[in-house]
Amino acid sequence: MERIDLAERPGWRDLAREQGFSFSEMHGEPYWDESSAYRFTLEEIETGIEDPATELHGMCREAVAKVLDSEELMTRLGIAPARMDLLRDSWQLGQPELYGRMDFAHDGQGPAKLLEYNADTPTSLYESAAFQWQWLEDQVAAGVLPEGADQFNGLHEALVARFGALFPPGTNLHFTAATDNAEDYATVEAMGYAAREAGLGAHYVDLGQVGVSAEGGFVDDEDRLMRVLFKLYPWEDLLQDEFAGHIAASGCLFLEPPWKAILSNKGILPVLWEMFEGHPNLLPAFFEADVAEALAGRGGPAAGAAARFERAETALRRGHVSKPIFSREGAGVIIREAGEIVEAAENGEYDAHPRIVQAYHPLPQFGGVRPVLGAWIVGEACVGLGLREDRSRITQDLSRFKPHYIED
Amino acid sequence: MSAQTSMPPRRRKRSARVAVMVLGAGAFALAGCREEQVEAQAFPDLAACEAAAGSDPALTIEACRTSFEEAQALNVESAPRYDSLEVCEELHGDGACGSEAQATQGGSGSIWMPLLAGYLIGNMMGGRSGYAGAQPLYRTNDGKFTNAAGSSTFSSNRGAARMDASQFVRPSPTVNKPPMSRASALSRGGFGATGSSRAAFGG
Repeated sequence: MERIDLAERPGWRDLAREQGFSFSEMHGEPYWDESSAYRFTLEEIETGIEDPATELHGMCREAVAKVLDSEELMTRLGIAPARMDLLRDSWQLGQPELYGRMDFAHDGQGPAKLLEYNADTPTSLYESAAFQWQWLEDQVAAGVLPEGADQFNGLHEALVARFGALFPPGTNLHFTAATDNAEDYATVEAMGYAAREAGLGAHYVDLGQVGVSAEGGFVDDEDRLMRVLFKLYPWEDLLQDEFAGHIAASGCLFLEPPWKAILSNKGILPVLWEMFEGHPNLLPAFFEADVAEALAGRGGPAAGAAARFERAETALRRGHVSKPIFSREGAGVIIREAGEIVEAAENGEYDAHPRIVQAYHPLPQFGGVRPVLGAWIVGEACVGLGLREDRSRITQDLSRFKPHYIED
Repeated sequence: MSAQTSMPPRRRKRSARVAVMVLGAGAFALAGCREEQVEAQAFPDLAACEAAAGSDPALTIEACRTSFEEAQALNVESAPRYDSLEVCEELHGDGACGSEAQATQGGSGSIWMPLLAGYLIGNMMGGRSGYAGAQPLYRTNDGKFTNAAGSSTFSSNRGAARMDASQFVRPSPTVNKPPMSRASALSRGGFGATGSSRAAFGG
């Protein structure tokens, strides 16, 4: 894994404009940045990222089953009692997952470490699946990259195949997002393109326009009954909205399904650590309530976590990250080293949520910036990679998207 | 047989092709994916249909009667049912509702249904599985008309138009099901409030 300076495609800004990639620059800063790219060997991709991410997804499914089996754990993950059946039923019915993105700290050496799993509403799908893919094709054609260069990016094909496997041709799917945010909408559109390529109907409706019919089904802005709804809106919010009580009887399949509320929740990290303690791709993680007193030197850890805490104590004391169980784009994240706060994300929107702590595994530095690896999961397998880099230790929404390639 | 061996071709790690995605343009435009269209006509009652049949060669008195019977049967089977006259009139307008007992023999006196206010005939829709050849129409509280599922509104109960075939999907039965209360009647805008302060939802 190396960061290589490369010639930019001369016309990429025009291409971005033509393709509607309006957020290739944001706040006057580049978001898409192809002045350099990350190079991986095939071995690094397959052994270091692809296989571990697929394995982790399988472990996550085991963890979901465990959490759904325990009201106590669901409560720790902030699931309201009134919504527990919805989550359990969606799992027992085998409602399928569509996609997710695992964020890893990784420098190409040693095992990649799972920072978190955005299993519900990951964005940057368009720039990962399409614009990055085009970059590789163009750079090979231009001779900037050698003929045999490849990219870990089966994302679009995998989504088309997944849609095709889940729904008969001609099925009408609805897609919704809550905001007119261009980044969010681009991810929804990239999904829509994949669904259409799979021979399905793709209709868009603003989340606020969704209605409940007299029959209890959800309808779009033209009163069409919705049977399948892809929503780029987090379950933790959806479950608190006024219509949440209608979901169970709506006859509408949600993508992601309700049980993803367990996986996109940082509370899954301590559950994974408890189930798979010592797994090379996991970092020690605990519910903050179990270990806060012990870390502050004011008392001991909670009894159930005491032995695990003892085994992880040295690592946690060296440095740990406190994260709200629900947060996006690094919001509310606090990094402490040897007890002192070294970095805290300003956004305090999530401060009221319960927290977890995770051993601090710093993002590696390449040329003064820190990449985070986004491993894309479609269905149950890892199918692609997208990197973002940031100058700060917490990757936030002003990070840059960086293309990558495979060359042995 | 030659003993030629070769390494298996290296697995390609990227999509062989990716759809040209133009953001803000094509993903949800439905060119080429339009639903099947059918000719449809609406009549307020059987007499209006029969009168039209005299001057419209595509419409027969027989078709009027068959359709009307089908709409009446669907009315009994699938009309929206409410647990109070107030909720029914709130959605369908004053004087637009009656009890189930009035609508059908053996019906309940405490379940309320909108009165049949017309019917929609779909050309060539009869006999298709999952579809109905006609749909009952009901008034809405704002002077329009709606179907049994409450999934479409029409400005009038008289006239002809081309419509999506899906307008003739058989509505779900409501007979012998618990009637709707105020809480289960149609509303919009119940999603999105919790996260509305956030600029973006993805991550």
